Amino acid sequence: MNRKIKEPVSFLLPLIFFIAAFLLFPVLGTFWNSLWQDVPFMARRFVAFDNYVGLMKDGQFWQASFFTIAFACISVSLEMAFGMITALILNEKSRLRGALRGIALIPWAIPSVIGARIWQLIFRYDYGVANITLKAIGIGPVNWLGTSAGAFAALVLADVWRTTPFVAIILLAGLQTVPDDVLKQAQIDGANIFQRFHRITLPMIKPIIMVAILFRTIDAMRVFDLIYVITGGGPGGTTASLSVYGYKFFLTGDFGYGSAVSVILFIIALTTAIIYMEIGKLRSQ
Amino acid sequence: MLTCRRFLISITIFLLLFFGCKSGTPQLTFAVGGASNEVEYWERIVAAFADSTKIDVVLLRQPTDTDQRRQGLVIPLRSRQPDPDVFLMDVIWVGQFAASDWLQPLDSMVATGDVNLADFFEPIVNQVDTYQDSLYALPVYNDCGLLYFRKDLLVKYGLKPPVTWQQLIQSADFVQKNERVTNPSFFGFVWQGAQYEGLVCNFLEFAASNNGGITDSAGRIIVYTPENIEAADLMYDLIHKHKISPPNTYTEMKEEETRLTFENGNALYERNWPYAWALHNKDGSRVRGKVAVALLPRGRKGQHAATLGGWHIGISKFSDSKAEAMMLLKFVLSYATQKKLALNLGWNPGRSDLYEDTDVRIRMPHLGVLKNAFEHAVARPTSPYYTQISEILQQNQNAALSGRSLSDEALAKAQREIDEILQRYNE
Repeated sequence: MNRKIKEPVSFLLPLIFFIAAFLLFPVLGTFWNSLWQDVPFMARRFVAFDNYVGLMKDGQFWQASFFTIAFACISVSLEMAFGMITALILNEKSRLRGALRGIALIPWAIPSVIGARIWQLIFRYDYGVANITLKAIGIGPVNWLGTSAGAFAALVLADVWRTTPFVAIILLAGLQTVPDDVLKQAQIDGANIFQRFHRITLPMIKPIIMVAILFRTIDAMRVFDLIYVITGGGPGGTTASLSVYGYKFFLTGDFGYGSAVSVILFIIALTTAIIYMEIGKLRSQ
Repeated sequence: MLTCRRFLISITIFLLLFFGCKSGTPQLTFAVGGASNEVEYWERIVAAFADSTKIDVVLLRQPTDTDQRRQGLVIPLRSRQPDPDVFLMDVIWVGQFAASDWLQPLDSMVATGDVNLADFFEPIVNQVDTYQDSLYALPVYNDCGLLYFRKDLLVKYGLKPPVTWQQLIQSADFVQKNERVTNPSFFGFVWQGAQYEGLVCNFLEFAASNNGGITDSAGRIIVYTPENIEAADLMYDLIHKHKISPPNTYTEMKEEETRLTFENGNALYERNWPYAWALHNKDGSRVRGKVAVALLPRGRKGQHAATLGGWHIGISKFSDSKAEAMMLLKFVLSYATQKKLALNLGWNPGRSDLYEDTDVRIRMPHLGVLKNAFEHAVARPTSPYYTQISEILQQNQNAALSGRSLSDEALAKAQREIDEILQRYNE
């Protein structure tokens, strides 16, 4: 091998090694596992694509898939809206800017399990803050997590609360790349604040928005900790995301079946990422 | 020079790791888990065993979490490791381990008289420890569902402890109405309805007390029966019709939530495991000295029922020191050791004869009711894929409790899904 090839390859080698060790092999390994029937108390058995056939017939799996997609769509839309508003506020020049930025980041800085636990306590039936407040204004206690709609709303609320700061910080970075002189010029030309935002700011930070949406969508599709803590997938399995559903099989059940769920989740997330990236490319061309 | 030394160090570490893992002579390893005080106490028991037999035992400390404990045993057993030789198993694993052919039959111990089956509860030995006519394990610690009640409140309203669910509903409704005047968060009856394993245990009690159940006499999983639908309807009615159980029963109520509700003086009746007894009666509990236990009520068509829990001891089929392992088993199950476990850890003995022991009875007065309850014990199914079956039951029963589907629909759906699972694994 001549030096011209050897050198770049040797520089890339550590990276290739880490990607292989921590991404490629686990993904391929999970796929390999998904071709087996693997129950702790029985012999391991090669079943090819039977697990996938089983999943297609599994009502719970479909419910988890729809839940996951609905959760991702609704919570990401809300996070983008609130994140944008927060970022615009934080971008205004004021004496409080430093302090506000710090405060806005708090939900993101709290470990997600702890954040989820806080929301679970808020929604608790007997001594949760939500019900104590309702009782104080004379409305009877509500069993927030007891209906599928209530539990869904609670989960979206908790997710929006936690990840809006993340979106806001990314968008804020984008906002700061918008040159002041362009906005000033537009103002002199008579554009009002909405026109300036719509015609100048938004198009300029579009790539950043796409990045934020991509990150958040993939993250929301994999949601686990929040649901595991707040509802555990209940009531009646209506709030189980694909991760929560797959996890149950890893805990003690069928590793092959659980792996098949993971592989499908991986494919959905990958497809979403590719679609977003293609959209991004089209726009920028 | 430096690389040379590094090389030598890594070679040494490698050799240490390689040979350090191999054990030379067979030794007895005993896997135990649980709270730290329990593990500490096992240390003393194996020391006493070593004193009397000159056999050293290595204690393998497992975590507290039940699923992790199972995982810690499944891995060595699947790969046929000689250690651990002896281990404790949760009641629902015994059948799974026996079906996997991982357990040493203990029939020879019965034949030689090392253990006498008459010392144990017959329903427990039959339902849990016997698999295809062979004995594979024996109980070290027994557990089952109990009805706790506030004896002070029953006296105050001139009521007797309920024997049937009907009586429970009537008395709970009456007391709840009167207590609500001063305590708006008071409920008649608390139990475990959240979507987790505890719901299956509760359901099994409601079902079995109505002559239903999860398994039929041939061991098949049958849940869609009129008796079970009636039982599920009763569970729903307690929350939504009679309103004597709180609305968060099916979202939040697990053992600790019900225990705390009862302990704060906010409930008349409570379904819980025996562990709650000591906590209800400790310093700082608002119901200290006001609690008594009874059998869970029976339904229209059935008898009293109590779901079985507890830990059983068994020997690995792959053990390299089975004779010593059997001596350890005999020692752990002896009257003296079982008595020590009861007095020091508050464990409900595995042996039935200890329930009449005066010292034990003074320390644990509720054992009288408990002994009676074990005679009515019902076990959960012992299937290799019990976890999946339980998952289905939890989900569908929880849906029925929340009112998202009728009991009839929920159980029919559960049956369909269970049949699919059985089909998938038995192809």
